[in-house]
Amino acid sequence: MSDYEFLSRVTIGQYIPGISPLHRMDPRARLTAGLMLLAAITFATHPAGLGLALLVVMTAITLSGLPWRFLLRGLLPPLPFLLFLAVLQVFFNTGENQPPLLIWWGVVQIYASDLVAAGMLVLRFCVLILGISLLSLVSSTSEIIYGVDALLKPLRWLRIPTQDLTMMAQITLRFIPFMALAAERIVKAQASRGVDWSAKGGNLIKRARRILPLLVPLFVSSLGKAERMALAMDARGYGSTRRRTLMMSTRWTWTDTAAVIACAGLAAAILLL
Amino acid sequence: MTSNPPLIEIDNVTFFHSGREAAAEPALRGLSLRIEAGEFVALIGANGSGKTTLARHLNALLLPTQGSVRVLGMDTRERRNWPAIRTAVGMVFQSPEDQLVSTTVEDDTAFAAENAGLPSDEIRRRVDEALRAVEMWEERKRPPHQLSAGQMQRVALAGVLAMRPRCIVFDETTAMLDPAGRRNVMEMMQRLNREGMTIVYITHYMQEALLADRVVVLSRGQVALDGSPREVFSDPRRLAGFGLELPPLTALAEGLEELFPGVPVGALTPEELADAIPDPNEMQRSRRLPAAEARPQREEIIAVRNLKYIYMKDTPLAHTALEDVTLTAGRGAVHGLIGATGSGKSTLLQHFNGLLRPQHGSVRVAGLSLNDSNVTVKQMVQVVGLVFQNPEAQFVEQYIGDEIAYGPRPLLEKPALRERVQWAMGLVGLDFEQYKDRLTYSLSGGERRKVALASVLAMQPQILVLDEPTAGLDPLSRREVLRHLQDFQRGGMTLVLSSHQMGDLARLTERVTVLHEGRDVRTGTAAEIFSEGQQLHDWGLEAPIAVQVADRLRKRGWPVPREAITTEGLVAAMSGLVTVEAA
Repeated sequence: MSDYEFLSRVTIGQYIPGISPLHRMDPRARLTAGLMLLAAITFATHPAGLGLALLVVMTAITLSGLPWRFLLRGLLPPLPFLLFLAVLQVFFNTGENQPPLLIWWGVVQIYASDLVAAGMLVLRFCVLILGISLLSLVSSTSEIIYGVDALLKPLRWLRIPTQDLTMMAQITLRFIPFMALAAERIVKAQASRGVDWSAKGGNLIKRARRILPLLVPLFVSSLGKAERMALAMDARGYGSTRRRTLMMSTRWTWTDTAAVIACAGLAAAILLL
Repeated sequence: MTSNPPLIEIDNVTFFHSGREAAAEPALRGLSLRIEAGEFVALIGANGSGKTTLARHLNALLLPTQGSVRVLGMDTRERRNWPAIRTAVGMVFQSPEDQLVSTTVEDDTAFAAENAGLPSDEIRRRVDEALRAVEMWEERKRPPHQLSAGQMQRVALAGVLAMRPRCIVFDETTAMLDPAGRRNVMEMMQRLNREGMTIVYITHYMQEALLADRVVVLSRGQVALDGSPREVFSDPRRLAGFGLELPPLTALAEGLEELFPGVPVGALTPEELADAIPDPNEMQRSRRLPAAEARPQREEIIAVRNLKYIYMKDTPLAHTALEDVTLTAGRGAVHGLIGATGSGKSTLLQHFNGLLRPQHGSVRVAGLSLNDSNVTVKQMVQVVGLVFQNPEAQFVEQYIGDEIAYGPRPLLEKPALRERVQWAMGLVGLDFEQYKDRLTYSLSGGERRKVALASVLAMQPQILVLDEPTAGLDPLSRREVLRHLQDFQRGGMTLVLSSHQMGDLARLTERVTVLHEGRDVRTGTAAEIFSEGQQLHDWGLEAPIAVQVADRLRKRGWPVPREAITTEGLVAAMSGLVTVEAA
């Protein structure tokens, strides 16, 4: 892979069209089911629950027909960070220590439960990342918007501008691939000026200083883009009527109901196992 | 109000940008203009003349500081009119990717109609109709960022059409497009206009303005000229005063008119011009002009063999950008790269300084092999200067002086560095004292391009690689950049440039390579490439105007040499054919 190709490392925020059962689900059902599962994974307390979650996500990935390698690649960037957290967890686990005691060097005491906690942490994040990536890969933005909009509908009673909120979410998603592309363009252009981007190592301050020249132009170009996009939205009459409508009309079928109920069951199992 | 108000009525409008550095200077001053339903108006003017500011008054994106703008009799200053005004006047902007909001083509097309709160089956109907009208129906499920720039502009147009507007404003819509994309958008504009749509078209390309019924020239926030293309382009000196130039066709017609009195200077198409020239007589028909002198043999400085490159390799989004490309460029030559958007030009250019490494095949530049991972980008940039299409992306420093000094700084002592910066700025015509302490972000488009050039030149590279060096520049800045490039070449530098401007390439390049869908389909002199005719068209390209006229003349029996590919070249060739040798 090229040093300068960023977009291929971003799995969140991209949509890959398809005709799998996952793609064909009603967006509201897909979002509801996905969010329930993700919440359950976040709060699961037992390894068995996480194991089940892993199984569910793996089944879903298989169903989606998306290539495994692409999804797994999304795990690579945060992996060092996760492992670092896991090591911290081993040494500073706050949970109750349970025997057997494995290692004992003076103040350092590592119990089996510490290792389990660290393993769970890594597993939990991996499953979450896979799940979030999968959900965004099979949902076009408009489907997400449609789903979120439907889910937030009750909030309109409280006079909260849910449509603007969903529009914000939509544009944020549009921006993710753009930011990766813009950063790629800037890094390439600067490397052509002799900025050394391939240098590795150095302490934290040095590394932070190296990305500084990237941040300013990235900021400027993003602001410029935001301004131009706002103008284009204005020109197409965004916000000129109170009630936006949507082109998408979807049909909620019994399979969607069944899927949501099944996922609710699975989510409960993940939580309670 | 009359019973039938004009479509757009601009009455004595003055506009100040608030919060800008130059707030003392109004962007529009006392400007009045009426646009009637069904007109096709081209709006031209130098950078900063107020074209875009004026356009944004037409649908209430900007409101006049003084004076008034009425659309179908509705005052733009009244907020309750905005929905109706924005439905009546749609707008397609310059930057294709910035105006697409959604993640699929059809959702984006629906955006405006959704904003209007139409029922969903009505939106569906309009979206389908609009996508068919711009020939994007097949692509309706694709995400916009995978489309070519020309396709994105068509999607943006579809989004506007779905509003069923009375008038569409195109704000430099074709500036970033390849010849085929540009031709396509222009044809769509003409077709819509024939069907009754009012078109307001802002452009930097004088040739395109010839297609309008009416040309309005802006200069310093005022209407300087307003009339038919023939009237407006009748006086080159007056145009130059407004920072503009003649369309290539008109310039050519002027030159030919001196040889053939009666040739219409106001000709609007290459055919019209060529057909107005009388048939050659026997003597002229058989005349042969001396062959152009052979080009010098050149030592090979860039050698690309069987290069292949796939973006996002091993992902479901992988796409092949280069497929078996072989190319060589000689030392001291200007080598042009042409091809439609997405044909792989930028990808190829990025191999020359090691930003991209060959996935397959080999690249050698100035004796260094880019297949060798020990050859770093940092090392390459000393030899190869790469100037990107958007200069602002490559700026590292805040002040222009520092910016230009960035490259050579690690190599030179202070006084020598200062001298080098001064020298580089001199090369592109920037005054050292005046510019060195200015902020890079405060510059105009043309100035930025020059700073980007100078900052690369400061490294004194042997090879200068340029990606679309003139895109988006107004005629004056464009001519200036081209002149500098010619000077560099005379100074012995090797230039490789990609461009959608065939006319510019005809003027500059010695050899041209055509890329088509990632393959090098043809390499030859510019004259050889531009005489490909229909083939050129199929690659999504277009011959320069002079070549189009020359082709037509050749068909009529004029022995015009193929080397006549520029305005001056063709006029000189014709004058060589008609002047009777002194007895």
